[in-house]
Amino acid sequence: MKIEDSYLEKIKEEILTIIEPDIYYCYQCGKCTAGCPISYVYEYKPNEIIRLIQLNKINAIFNSNSIYLCTSCEICSSRCPQNVNIAAIMNYLRIKSWHYKRFKLKRIYNFYKIFLKIIEKFGRSFEPLLIICLNFLNKTFFNDFDAALKILKKRKIKIIPELLKNRKEVSFIVKKYS
Amino acid sequence: MNNIEQKNQKPIAYYPGCSLNSTAIDYNISVKNLLKILNINFKEIKDWNCCGTTPAHNTSSEMSIALSARNLFLAKNMGCEEIICPCVSCYCKLSEASFILNSNIASRSEFEKKKREEILRLFKNMGFDTESELNFKVYSIIEFLYKNKDLIRQKFSENKMKNNNAIFSKKEKELLTQLKPVCYYGCVLLRAEYSTKFDNAENPVSMEEILETVDIKSKNFRFKTECCGAILSLTYKEIALKLSKEILDAALETGANSIIVFCPLCQQNLDLRQTQINKRFKANYSIPIYYISQILGLALGLSYEDVMINKLFIEPEIKKIKTG
Repeated sequence: MKIEDSYLEKIKEEILTIIEPDIYYCYQCGKCTAGCPISYVYEYKPNEIIRLIQLNKINAIFNSNSIYLCTSCEICSSRCPQNVNIAAIMNYLRIKSWHYKRFKLKRIYNFYKIFLKIIEKFGRSFEPLLIICLNFLNKTFFNDFDAALKILKKRKIKIIPELLKNRKEVSFIVKKYS
Repeated sequence: MNNIEQKNQKPIAYYPGCSLNSTAIDYNISVKNLLKILNINFKEIKDWNCCGTTPAHNTSSEMSIALSARNLFLAKNMGCEEIICPCVSCYCKLSEASFILNSNIASRSEFEKKKREEILRLFKNMGFDTESELNFKVYSIIEFLYKNKDLIRQKFSENKMKNNNAIFSKKEKELLTQLKPVCYYGCVLLRAEYSTKFDNAENPVSMEEILETVDIKSKNFRFKTECCGAILSLTYKEIALKLSKEILDAALETGANSIIVFCPLCQQNLDLRQTQINKRFKANYSIPIYYISQILGLALGLSYEDVMINKLFIEPEIKKIKTG
């Protein structure tokens, strides 16, 4: 789905009003990128993302892998000499890409989808089902097979999911906001 | 604060979270046993739910806050407004929710005030008491132990005097004397937007200081707050394995023989996946990754079984020390 230009403008306006008004304070020192543990695989580095937003090129960010691979470790924000909250901007863009169905990395998309479905049903995470569904959807059938065996051998996992008493409440919250 | 005071205090709520309920069961049990021997009055939140962790906060900020808010309101129903949360991811989500919900809204932006009203309305409709004053305080286990350092020191010397070290059976004592650890804090605890920044985010020392109270000296370490790759281990494993390997390398570089952590995900990436790292990088790591609660527990007289050392994937090899 292509995002209309008017939406992109709205996204930028929201970044400027509620997420980070100081985005123009960035002077491209690159400390965020230097600290970022994943930036070595990013198509756009954190400092480039800030520049792209300044230049109204938000579509380019949605099309690159950067915001999806971010682990939210918040090194970028904490080291920024201009106090630009880069992590919050990345998080906000991820949320937007999810809602506009532009989430680029399918494997991560599948993981979020399955995880949220599981807490909607059970109220808590249930790893065995999560891993089985994830491997199935991502077609990585034997991924982590060794790890799963080890976990089973150490009896570190429950085979039957625990059901909450009021899981209706949790399910209501998940449905309402997804 | 001394023991008696602690006992008479209002109970503190305990939120384990999903990891501690399954793959980090050793962390859960060792934290509970540690709090017990420290005479901390705590109660597990009844019917707690998942905090939503990465999938929730990356898809909807409201969902993430609402999921954690339910846990906070459940704690309040039990009469607790202070919550201990050992899992770092859960801690970040709970502390964000508590920041949004707390009644003192002076420093809140308009946007945050709007969020607060929406969440309160939602929970009012679900039948929770949202009218009374809300004053939540969420503790990560490190902040909580750091605050109670004196109590730990006192307990340690009491134990030492009482038993003249006889409390330790051989195994436990040998593990502790052979321990040359580095402390690994993980990336987010001291950086997260809404966490209490009780220590320096680049070179924290609280964990080292906690361990010093039980006479454990840890080595200085340049990767204290680097990221381990977190949940990318499920989707883009390559990245997580590379980052975790770098942490193991940096630890070995200092001459350490173990790593002490407090995040269940870091522990999993470093411990469970250590064999995957060995395979991927043709290496031969064999470094035990302990939870801080396990080590403190042992030092305060808990047994191997009490802190579930046998649940670690890389179990410590204890060399026999000569007796006498």
